[in-house]
Amino acid sequence: MRDLKTVIGFTIKDMAKRKSFIVSTIILLAIIIIGINIPNIIKAFTGDSDGDTNNKLLVVDSSNLFEGSLDSLNSMNLGYEVSITNENLSFDDIKTKIDNGEIDEAIIIENGENNSHKIRYIVKDMAMISGMPEELMAGINSIYTNLQISKLGLTQEELQSLNPNFEYSIEQTEEQQVSGNILVIMLLSIVLFYAIYFCAYQVSSSITTEKTSKIMETLVTSTSPTTIVLGKTIGIGIVGLIQVCVFVGVALITAKFCLDPELLSSVLDMSKITPYLGIMTIIYFILGYFAYSLLYALTGSTVSKPEDIQSANAPVAILALIGFYLSYFTMMNPNSDLNAFAAIFPLSSPFCMPFRMMMGIATPAQLVASIVVLIITILIIAKVAIKIYSNAILNYGTKMTIKDMVKIYRDKK
Amino acid sequence: MGLKLQNVSKKFVGKQAVDNISFEVNKPSVFGLLGTNGAGKTTTIRMLLGIIKKDSGEITWNGQKVERKHVNFGYLPEERGLYPKTKIYDQLMYFAKLKGMNAKQADEAIKKWAKVLKVEEYIPMVAEKLSKGNQQKIQFMTAIIHDPELIVLDEPFSGLDPVNTEILKNVIIDLVAKGKYIIMSSHQMASIEEFCTDILILNKGKTVLQGNLKEIKEGYKANRLEVSTNSNIEKYVKELGMDIEFSKDNEYTIKIESEEKAHQLLKNLVNENIEVNKFEIKKPTLNDIFIEKVGE
Repeated sequence: MRDLKTVIGFTIKDMAKRKSFIVSTIILLAIIIIGINIPNIIKAFTGDSDGDTNNKLLVVDSSNLFEGSLDSLNSMNLGYEVSITNENLSFDDIKTKIDNGEIDEAIIIENGENNSHKIRYIVKDMAMISGMPEELMAGINSIYTNLQISKLGLTQEELQSLNPNFEYSIEQTEEQQVSGNILVIMLLSIVLFYAIYFCAYQVSSSITTEKTSKIMETLVTSTSPTTIVLGKTIGIGIVGLIQVCVFVGVALITAKFCLDPELLSSVLDMSKITPYLGIMTIIYFILGYFAYSLLYALTGSTVSKPEDIQSANAPVAILALIGFYLSYFTMMNPNSDLNAFAAIFPLSSPFCMPFRMMMGIATPAQLVASIVVLIITILIIAKVAIKIYSNAILNYGTKMTIKDMVKIYRDKK
Repeated sequence: MGLKLQNVSKKFVGKQAVDNISFEVNKPSVFGLLGTNGAGKTTTIRMLLGIIKKDSGEITWNGQKVERKHVNFGYLPEERGLYPKTKIYDQLMYFAKLKGMNAKQADEAIKKWAKVLKVEEYIPMVAEKLSKGNQQKIQFMTAIIHDPELIVLDEPFSGLDPVNTEILKNVIIDLVAKGKYIIMSSHQMASIEEFCTDILILNKGKTVLQGNLKEIKEGYKANRLEVSTNSNIEKYVKELGMDIEFSKDNEYTIKIESEEKAHQLLKNLVNENIEVNKFEIKKPTLNDIFIEKVGE
């Protein structure tokens, strides 16, 4: 136990002192702070202080089809600052006005034959626009309809009956109701995956460094291989967990103080982030980290040269990606059986279950099954990994194959 | 008392690495473990340190079976290594703590040995900034920092300059004087001859020679004559049917089958009025014995 504490302490100190670790942490913190402040940065550049970014829309009604009623577009809160003209402006005239910055976009209403009308929507660049905004089309249709109805001489009651006030709502047949913003949850899932993956990868890197620097021989005569693997795994895990907590903490604080509360609440329901969810996410981080870091300990111990580490780690990386994508893609349909499976399957459960909990669809039985399966998997991986690590760390030379590992495992029984 | 290996064997997949070896180090001294590359020295060392398990036989230290968890020996491996980007002080403190010392004891030991080995100025530095020789001295410190009773030194002098070799030799002599048991593996036969009282030579995992070095050498007849003269004596050597092994500027090393022939040569040279500056009949060196025993 004393040796384990010593290895953990040395690993934490050694990792936290590394320049690469300090620099990457600072860079990631800067990216987080800048990323969250992008809306504010855009505002600062556009000079828009209140966030109201209404586009200037010019409506050209040269034939006076709407008889001046288009002014009511401004009262519809469509996000446009609408101006109307009856001048006969051509496409080139509009282009000049857009280029000069007088307007952002325009609508030209043209009378066609047989009482048909043509509406041309002119923008500077239609690369990111699939068509005329539906709200705008609905607004124009509504104004035209009202104009024509008003000409029929109907009473106020008759007029109101033509404009029904329907109340729309949505309900589902599934018993479990998904809550929260799926896109944000998927984004958080990616963050958790990378946190687990990169922390676990550090274990492999650290073990290979010890082999390549030939310190391993001295180390294994000072303490047991089990202590080295566990101490290293726990030490790196503690540093990784603190790092992730710092990132999440800084992100939440930055979002709380720098983002518009309305914008923040539209993407992330803070009421869903309860202490219970936080603790469970940390538990899944720890369990997921242990599962993958022990696999990486195994692969790290089988190579002696830094250039072999990528190929040795490839199988674990593939397993991690399978686990992650199984979770990620099934999250688009969280009530599916496959997502429920991903929440229990040990390779994917660390990336899936915290978010099923966040969406409020994880049952207690699924949660218990998921944790039990994950712990059993970790114990099996630990047994195999420590055994192979103990015998592989003193092997120098070419990278070991899976066949070699099986031989060693059997030979040392 | 001391270290005892009895009928120890170890087989790896498809290869008998160590085959039924036995030896004993029963008093503070330096024991020489010799052999060619791949002879089984490192496997033997790893077994006696408890790093790997033996297949059969028994290894005891002071009458107790050697087990990994109870071993607290010192070990300077042949594969030198330190954490390249970690400060020397932190590394030494780490290994001292793993070997059961508290921070205060470790700090005192680091300062003491840094002074003895003349590496005080390197203690606050990171390992990658040290020369190979100084890194080796630091690693030697990790082997002895916890004051172990048994110390295993694998090629302790390789890569050291004459000054540092002398420093290390004095430390080894002091350690033996303080009652330490040392197992030394080396290809430098001169070092083995200088330090070791008993030796064991391994070849392909098997013991080919073992015992007291002095007694082993006494068991060998003289096989070499070194002569220095003021003129060419090849004619007189060949007349007696002897072979010249080496000659340069009238200095000769001649293979001899008996001391009588060597004396006959000297008599002939004197009769011919050839001035003889040096005439020395020599017994085989450890190097000769080693080559004889393990040479293919």
